[in-house]
Amino acid sequence: MTESFRRPAAFQVDDPRVVVAEQQLVLSDSSEQALVATDSRIADAIANRSRHWRWGTLFWSACSGLVLLALGIAVTNFVEELFARTPALGVVGLGLAALAGLALLALIVREIFGLIRLGTIDSLRHRALTTIGNDDRDEGRAVVTDLLSLTRRMPQLARARHRLETHLTDIIDGRDRVQLAERELMEPLDTEARRLVLSAAKRVSLVTAVSPRAAIDMLFVLINALALIRKLSVLYGGRPGTIGVLRLFRQVISHLAMTGGVAVTDSLLQQIIGHGVAARLSARLGEGMLNGILTARLGILTIDVTRPLPFAALPRPALNDLVGILLRPEGREAGDLGRSEPGKPEK
Amino acid sequence: MTLISQIVEQARLAARALAEFGGGLFNPTVRLGITGLSRAGKTVFITALVHGLMRGGRFPVFEPLASGRIAAVRLAPQPHDAVPRFDYENHARTLVDERRWPESTRQISELRLLIDYQSQNGALRTLTLDIVDYPGEWLLDLPLLGKSYEQWSAECIAQGRHGARSGLAGSWLAHLVTIDPLAPADEGVAIEAARLFTAYLQACRDERYAMSLLPPGRFLMPGDLAGSPALTFAPLELPEGAEPPHGSLSVMMRRRYDSYREVVVQPFFREHFARLDRQIVLVDTLAALNAGPDAVRDLQGALVSILDCFRIGRGGMFSALFRPRASKILFAATKADHLHHSAHDRLEAILAQMVAGAIAQAGFEGAEVDVIALAAVRATREGHVRGEGGTLPSIIGFPAPDETAGGETFDGRSEVAVFPGDLPADAGALFEPGSHAFRGLTAGCGHDTDFRFVRFRPPQLEQISEGLPALPHIRLDRAMQFLFGDRLQ
Repeated sequence: MTESFRRPAAFQVDDPRVVVAEQQLVLSDSSEQALVATDSRIADAIANRSRHWRWGTLFWSACSGLVLLALGIAVTNFVEELFARTPALGVVGLGLAALAGLALLALIVREIFGLIRLGTIDSLRHRALTTIGNDDRDEGRAVVTDLLSLTRRMPQLARARHRLETHLTDIIDGRDRVQLAERELMEPLDTEARRLVLSAAKRVSLVTAVSPRAAIDMLFVLINALALIRKLSVLYGGRPGTIGVLRLFRQVISHLAMTGGVAVTDSLLQQIIGHGVAARLSARLGEGMLNGILTARLGILTIDVTRPLPFAALPRPALNDLVGILLRPEGREAGDLGRSEPGKPEK
Repeated sequence: MTLISQIVEQARLAARALAEFGGGLFNPTVRLGITGLSRAGKTVFITALVHGLMRGGRFPVFEPLASGRIAAVRLAPQPHDAVPRFDYENHARTLVDERRWPESTRQISELRLLIDYQSQNGALRTLTLDIVDYPGEWLLDLPLLGKSYEQWSAECIAQGRHGARSGLAGSWLAHLVTIDPLAPADEGVAIEAARLFTAYLQACRDERYAMSLLPPGRFLMPGDLAGSPALTFAPLELPEGAEPPHGSLSVMMRRRYDSYREVVVQPFFREHFARLDRQIVLVDTLAALNAGPDAVRDLQGALVSILDCFRIGRGGMFSALFRPRASKILFAATKADHLHHSAHDRLEAILAQMVAGAIAQAGFEGAEVDVIALAAVRATREGHVRGEGGTLPSIIGFPAPDETAGGETFDGRSEVAVFPGDLPADAGALFEPGSHAFRGLTAGCGHDTDFRFVRFRPPQLEQISEGLPALPHIRLDRAMQFLFGDRLQ
């Protein structure tokens, strides 16, 4: 036995050196994992954001800098002109310019915070995924603590949060703890997310079916998609600004490109059948159906990107479930949504 | 002769499996095999499991209970008339009210639990959970099924002359050399040999040696067979090659050994182990670590030979009908509450190393395997002690009366903080043959051992946020989720 091993010892509990653990005890002991479980159900489908330098980013940053400079000079010149004409007008102009500058600053700060928060959610999901893989106890606890602080502002989770907090000091392994947090905190949010996606899809299919021009429905679909992304992100704890929504949109599109091929096989049949029947009845109705299905798919991918935990303990909403409700006559989906989701997790 | 009896045995198992398959279609049943040598904590595990399920304990990881899908859990009448019922009420009273651990099990017993639950899609169902408790010593008999009397004798004598056991086997081995196996059978000699052999096996179980591989099990825990001829035999030093004459001592011993296998071991195996759906193997690693490297290797030997007897693997339709197998197997290092939770990973690594062969085989057969550190009843709290050499992660509890640690004897009424010693990071080093990786009680160095795991008294009930107070535990919910959580979907 090597020297670094410590000898067993016993102390009376009233010994001043003894400290009883009331709260979590973080030890620097690195944990060995004998059996690294690989859960094949969980695949990291989300593209790693590349962090390396890109010329495109440089170009756009430089351009926006130039535009800002130009704007600044134009405003300065304009205010100077106003002063030259009448000092009183100049004072008003200066005040307005200062207000505009302040508002711009506030906007930028809010964007930055929104982006940081999105980044936090992303990294939380990656950490949760790693923890589910290696079952690391300390990391699991850290992930859940972070998740609790992320969802602190969500009133509908108050009870679930309390339940989860009572288990914080229990000895629970990493994977179990993350899945427990998912069951407690994500379930109400998932139901709500499903409702959002479905209503957006219905709206899109209706508008497409009745709109007179293709350009109008294209615009509507785009705006509706951005609004859906924003709503889902807010639902799962993000606070994206305009740039944040655009970045999410880009992530969703790249996610679509990655997983599209896989997802096509399992739901293509139903899409074709659904679209086909509707198209027989009316070309516009069929088009509306197709746009609705596309929006539903976009919504599901957005859930993947905005949810702070990967789908492990709960089933991922499947396109078939949503499309099934979409194709059914009015008035029946309320009961379908109220039921707790039975669906098979989509592979 | 053996071939025919084997075929008959297989046919019987197949017939029972077929009958149960039919019944299982309407009334799903999980036969939970709880495997563990004596003192591994089988009775406590069962009691805690039933107590927790019936009273709705604190099991966040056990999804059906945590999400409220389990409506009720009740005890069903005992299914088999010939087998005693598991005395759950008494065990629970001993554990909870008297705060003592249950006595060691002397008889086989059964319990049937009905779990009323609502499945994920809303259907109301009932799952039957069959649990069997038995003396862990009897498990040691399973490897005998594949051994002839001659093989067994040779192994026993070789073990007795080797390592830590040689000191204990002295009087038995001395008597052994005086016996002539080819002499006519003499009941007196047989009784004396069996008595000395039993005394040697009993001595090996002492806490200081904590040997595990001690067949035949009924010698240690005879049940209702005490004194019968089937238990009056012992290994003999048989001459190579020579066929013993009719009526000699060795022929009589061999006959008794064979009837022991047929009358005692085979029915036990057939009734309780050949048809398991799920299995948990409880291993008291800490007692072996307490005793020393020889005990650890001995425990490994016992586990390997027992696990070889089980049928593990995922069966298809055909094999579900004719050769049922355990499809999930969980290896649990029990008494994890004797260690701080930061050491649980190392404990799991040691157990995984110990049963590495069985894990590999189960994986190959398609069974799901997991290894955890478990405390069905958690008797300690955690804390740390600020000492000279930094902070010691310790556990705090009431040691059982007459336990000793660090030269001190406890009275069972005072609470102490114990640091049990650091487990090695490299589990493999413990198992290298002939290595003396650490010093245990066997080495006879008194209190100067590398590990000291003190036994604690059971805890007081813990108030949970909603509902009745429950027994605290470590990872019992994870074990339940793994073992039958999927059947409650």
